Amino acid sequence: MNNNILSLFQLCDSNLPTGAFSHSFGLESYIQEDQVKDQETFFQWLKVYLHEQLIYSDGLASRLVYEALMDEDIQEIWNLDRLLTVQNLPRETREGTQMIGDRMLKLTESLYGMPILSQYRAEIKRKSSFGHPAIVFSMVAHGLGVTKPDTILYYLYSAISSQVQNAVRAIPLGQTAGQTITHNFIPELTQAVERILQLTKDDFGIVSPGIELSQMKHERVNIRIFMS
Amino acid sequence: MTDWTGTLSLDLEERKGKTVAKRVYFQGALKVMRPIYFDDSGQVCYYLLNPGGGYLDGDRYKMEISADEGSKVTLTTQSATKVYKTPKGYAYQETQIHLQKGSYLEYLPDPLIAYENAHYKQKNVVHMESGATFIYTDILTPGWSPEGKKFSYNTIQLVTEVYLNGKLGVFDHIKLMPEKQTLSGLGFMEGFTHLGSMIAVSEYTNNSLLDELYEVIQIEESSFKFGISKLAVPGFSIRILAHSTQVIERILDQCQKIISEKWNNRTPSFLRKY
Repeated sequence: MNNNILSLFQLCDSNLPTGAFSHSFGLESYIQEDQVKDQETFFQWLKVYLHEQLIYSDGLASRLVYEALMDEDIQEIWNLDRLLTVQNLPRETREGTQMIGDRMLKLTESLYGMPILSQYRAEIKRKSSFGHPAIVFSMVAHGLGVTKPDTILYYLYSAISSQVQNAVRAIPLGQTAGQTITHNFIPELTQAVERILQLTKDDFGIVSPGIELSQMKHERVNIRIFMS
Repeated sequence: MTDWTGTLSLDLEERKGKTVAKRVYFQGALKVMRPIYFDDSGQVCYYLLNPGGGYLDGDRYKMEISADEGSKVTLTTQSATKVYKTPKGYAYQETQIHLQKGSYLEYLPDPLIAYENAHYKQKNVVHMESGATFIYTDILTPGWSPEGKKFSYNTIQLVTEVYLNGKLGVFDHIKLMPEKQTLSGLGFMEGFTHLGSMIAVSEYTNNSLLDELYEVIQIEESSFKFGISKLAVPGFSIRILAHSTQVIERILDQCQKIISEKWNNRTPSFLRKY
């Protein structure tokens, strides 16, 4: 393992102060309706969340951003930033993602000092872009020389592991159960990367109606521990 | 283009308080009925129809609608859109809508029924200026098969893009592939069979309207599930999961009535045709 991969691992840590731990992306709605209540039902939810929502949004975007960086097509990155934001119809999920992206950008800009990160920040400041963690992550990974499939894999891992931590707190599950889920989920992640590599831009933003609806419903839940 | 199965173009303008067509053109298997004025508001209603009765293998349809400043229009269909089996190529429908500031367009088609092994793709692209209002609904049914089996179609794909002042403001992409997805399960249809959506873009959107719609939708007594949320641009979307077309229609009609009264100062007429 080289130091660059180790450097990227820092971004995969669910303790990274981006605020990701305060967003459940609709999971809390399922927990409150008692549809997600244990290790098994959470695993089921996580599978649908990954394979039917994340791969078409964050996952595919991560790949396309990486490719745009290779082609030095920066305008394409700003297009993807807008597309990622406006396809996210539930307000809490959209604004939460934007907040996480913004904090991650601030943090990584000071840690890695890559010019593309400063350029992204300037775009956001000018209100031409919104900010998205999948884009920030892919910029850093590309800058560190991590391969495209690994970039997508590590990004998905970071998104999934923060959801596992959320589930441990919210359902609640034991820490060991949380680790078991993460471990058993690894084949799902590699499968997701293979799918993403085969998708086309036409597949971008396909939603899973139930997941999306639960993210909209979260706005109206009375008692909450998550912001989305 | 000559490879369209049907094309339709309709350009609207406001003339002395009344919305009229300055140009109507249709060819092939698409047709627009004569305009209907339900009241003295000047708002016009057009029924779009497919004389062939349904979409077949490889069919391609294109509609272009424009509304000039101050024009107000309701577009609907005469009956459900039926997509028959498409063994060779998918059926495709593309709609381009251009809305100038101060125009009001509501596009409220009947439900989509995809038959066994049908593959349908639809793309709506809306370009609007700020100050225009756009309301769109759709209803997806579980389709139709001779054995009554649900979700026996191959693929239903709906893409809606709304550009506000030239910038993408809404992107909605639904793609249901029953053979590849566990449609009835958690995360998808959650045990329901019908999916309804509404997308509304208008500067008049505010939190109190969303609260009011939320309360009204909750009055519906049948079993259903819904979500409502603000878009990245001024506007909102609604998703509804239910067991029948009627429940979704009832909810969407209620919402549309409130929106029309608030944004358009007009109580809408009853559009359903059966």
